[in-house]
Amino acid sequence: MHAKPFGLVFFPAFDWAISPTHPEREERLLYTRDQIVEEGLLDIPGIREYKPRLATVKDVERVHIGVPDIDSLITDAHLVSAGGAIAAAEAVVRREVDSAFALVRPPGHHAMRVVHGTRGFCTINIEAVMVAYLRRHHGIGKVAIVDTDVHHGDGTQDIFYHDPDTLFISFHQDGRTLYPGSGFTDEAGSPQALGTTINLPLPPGTTDEGLHYVLDNLILPVLDDFKPDIIINSAGQDNHYSDPLANMAITAQGYARLAEKLQADIAVLEGGYSIEAALPYVNTGIILAMAGLDYSKVIEPDIDRAPRGESEAAKAYVRQLVDKQYDLWRSRDRLSKEAIAKSGDFWQRRRGIYYDDSGINEHQTEKLRLCPDCRGYLTIASESEGNYLANKSAYIVVVPLHSCQKCRQDGRDAVLAAKKQGKYGYYFIQDQEKDLLENI
Amino acid sequence: MLLGIDVGGTFTDAVIIEEGRLLAQAKAPTLHHDLLDGVLAAMDQVLAGIDASRLARVALSTTIVTNALVEGKTERVGLLLLPGPGMDISALVPEKPYILSGYIDHRGRETAKPVGDEVARACLELNGTAVFAVAGKFAVRNPSHEKSVADWVRQQARPDFLTTGAAVSGELNFLRRANSAYFNSAVWRHFGRFAAAVRQAMIKRGINAPLYVLKADGGTMPLAAAESMPVEAVFTGPAASVLGVMSLAAPTGETVSLDIGGTTTDIALWRDGVPLVAGRGAKIAGYPTAVRSFWLQSVGVGGDSLVRREAGKLVVGPMRLGPAMAVGGPSPTVADAMIVAGLASFGDAVLAAQAMRQIADGDETPAQVAKNVLAVAADKIFAAIVQMIAERVAEPVYRVEDVVHGRPPNPGSVIGVGGAAAGLAPLVAERLGVSCIVPPEAAVANAIGAAVARPTLEVTLRVDTDQGYYTIAEMGLRESLPQKRFGLNDARELAGRHLAQRAAQAGISVTAVETVFAEEFNMVRGFTTTGKIITCRLQIKPGVFSATGSEGGV
Repeated sequence: MHAKPFGLVFFPAFDWAISPTHPEREERLLYTRDQIVEEGLLDIPGIREYKPRLATVKDVERVHIGVPDIDSLITDAHLVSAGGAIAAAEAVVRREVDSAFALVRPPGHHAMRVVHGTRGFCTINIEAVMVAYLRRHHGIGKVAIVDTDVHHGDGTQDIFYHDPDTLFISFHQDGRTLYPGSGFTDEAGSPQALGTTINLPLPPGTTDEGLHYVLDNLILPVLDDFKPDIIINSAGQDNHYSDPLANMAITAQGYARLAEKLQADIAVLEGGYSIEAALPYVNTGIILAMAGLDYSKVIEPDIDRAPRGESEAAKAYVRQLVDKQYDLWRSRDRLSKEAIAKSGDFWQRRRGIYYDDSGINEHQTEKLRLCPDCRGYLTIASESEGNYLANKSAYIVVVPLHSCQKCRQDGRDAVLAAKKQGKYGYYFIQDQEKDLLENI
Repeated sequence: MLLGIDVGGTFTDAVIIEEGRLLAQAKAPTLHHDLLDGVLAAMDQVLAGIDASRLARVALSTTIVTNALVEGKTERVGLLLLPGPGMDISALVPEKPYILSGYIDHRGRETAKPVGDEVARACLELNGTAVFAVAGKFAVRNPSHEKSVADWVRQQARPDFLTTGAAVSGELNFLRRANSAYFNSAVWRHFGRFAAAVRQAMIKRGINAPLYVLKADGGTMPLAAAESMPVEAVFTGPAASVLGVMSLAAPTGETVSLDIGGTTTDIALWRDGVPLVAGRGAKIAGYPTAVRSFWLQSVGVGGDSLVRREAGKLVVGPMRLGPAMAVGGPSPTVADAMIVAGLASFGDAVLAAQAMRQIADGDETPAQVAKNVLAVAADKIFAAIVQMIAERVAEPVYRVEDVVHGRPPNPGSVIGVGGAAAGLAPLVAERLGVSCIVPPEAAVANAIGAAVARPTLEVTLRVDTDQGYYTIAEMGLRESLPQKRFGLNDARELAGRHLAQRAAQAGISVTAVETVFAEEFNMVRGFTTTGKIITCRLQIKPGVFSATGSEGGV
């Protein structure tokens, strides 16, 4: 028996918790560790375990703007977790392995570009930090991220919302019934990236059958079409029927078959809080599937508890959803042009962002320059209010990769003008081309 | 007075140690078809003129298990597995297994019962098989299924011998325990015959001293214990030499030890005076097992390594064509270079110089060639040490603290043993920029190690206060917890009591005990702490009875 060359970065952070009884605590991957070690998965020829590296603050600031700074908002655990994702990705891009799984915590997919605190158990977006690292150090261009966590990957969506080179697909339990309450079909990307954000809100109770219908009829064809250099799976495991924080009905077999079909280059763990009944089996299934091995015997001992079958109404809803989103995908070029024409020189949105773990409310106004020659530049005015913290505000300019001379200059002028007005506490310019975050 | 015997690939060495002093040493050729012959020849030589009744212990490091595997002297094992849900390991074990129903989950809870009829059917099909191995997933958390199946097999098949997986190791890794249990049963009969012959030979010589066998982890076990756990006696040669280093040089800080023999150099890294243990068990016949061992790296450089020029460049090893030219060998070797460099004094110096001339570049003198040869050889060992340090640094860790504050190995000295140590170890030390020790008894470090190695024994305690029970896999125990409030310190104490009990059963005295693994987790269900999961593994520390040196107890 020989696996396809496969790398595993296992980092359970056995000495780190958000708080002692928080779902994101030391115990979370204990039983997963037990199962992986007991199975002997790391003794299979072809499977190689990697140690996470310690990501640097610079790696993090390639994506995030922390207010007042990222350093004071994170712990070493976040740097190890992001470093774990980077280690997995490097093993793949260096062709030491065909694919890799960063089975690490803490998770990251709810962390947005601007960070005031922790939301949905996430402080920094470890996949986004990894993608930025790959683009900077390994010349990776087009990236697809498929988020299979039960919660909408709103952080990842936020970071890549204006980037047509990153396809973000998230299926999740409908936001009307679950945190973070977003991820609806009309969130499809800003005008120049319209269509490269695809949200698939699924009804509570969706089973393997419904999930695989979406996968076969939408996700896989869209991936084929997009032709990414690399496919990343944000591999949350809380769609499992036993998860205490959600209401879906996916099994370990359903997850393993998904991993087999998706053929992700890199998977990164996100949520999943059924730490005894689901995670040991789901992770074993994903590892075997990614390593090209037989996973047919990975079945939860309490599989009889898994709900079976979906209502006809639910099936019809999912079919409609897939049709609608596939239509949108196929007409994205036309829709993008229309949206750009409608917006004029700038596209703008206002949002409230809630940090549930930190008790912070952020109000954000994003303004994106729609430049005919480049990706434009982005300004973000961000104000936050929290219970125990002094209110914080920042004005941020982001100049993306491959920006034109004019946009670079206009972006810099914008932050200097704001600073002159002096309405905000902090001023930043993130120059992705120069790989620099400046505190003005 | 201690007698130590190490069966090596070419020679069997024997030593007698008295009060920390090397009293006598002897050497006899190893005969692979009859290991006992070499053992007895070396023993008789070393005991010449010595009153054998004064021996307090005889300890043997032998390749008998390895030989049994290489020479196919194993027997068919009925392998019964209870894998439950998970990976199909049928293709990863040495024999086609019988897969049985029944499952114990990660918490040691029964989620499916084993089925007696399946065992009966397997026994029927295995008619004629005399030895069995039974292994269940998570049996270390609850050995009851392995026990039931073992009982059924005993009733049905009346086997001569049976091994259960949890008895061979208390550590997680079902695949490795299954393989260990298989090999333990496969070599049981062959080892038993050898043990009986050794016993008989001792009686014939009037030796009443207790007999011990060295284990791969550097400890010893009474011969009687080895007869039921022969798999532990695999790969003891390198362990013997590491123990020899401990006895001869008593390293304290960070060190690298080299056992430089005829064709290979075995490298071990030491921290705080203790050799590092391999993260996972040894491989036997290519199969991963749960047999614990020191972490050693072997590189193909030794005294007899062939030296030649390839594309103008000096190349050393890994092959050996014969002994040094100085003693009549066919081609230049590292030992010839050592003789010319004045680092060894055996054989014909003229022939050694001739060997160097054969591989000279232009008008290089033999002395210059010898110096270059030794530099190339030392460089190969140095590179292997650097590689080993890199591997250690890359070893996965599971705590933030260990990633952030992990410290790479930084050996402060080199200790060389083995026949070719005097010539090469100082050069390796020079490359590392550290000091070097080559004890005068370096050539018989292996047999000394066997002579003075202390017995070791371990227990793995796992506590689940939420369910109110604990297990000790190696002892097949699953008991109720004495109290609900239970911490890591209570666990250490409880494990210590069981270790003492296990040692008493095995006839081993408890000396220094160390915790080799400990972890403690709070269990939280629905935002309340419901209990603790504690694992702690204690062992009687591997070590030596006494320091050994020619000047007496150092």
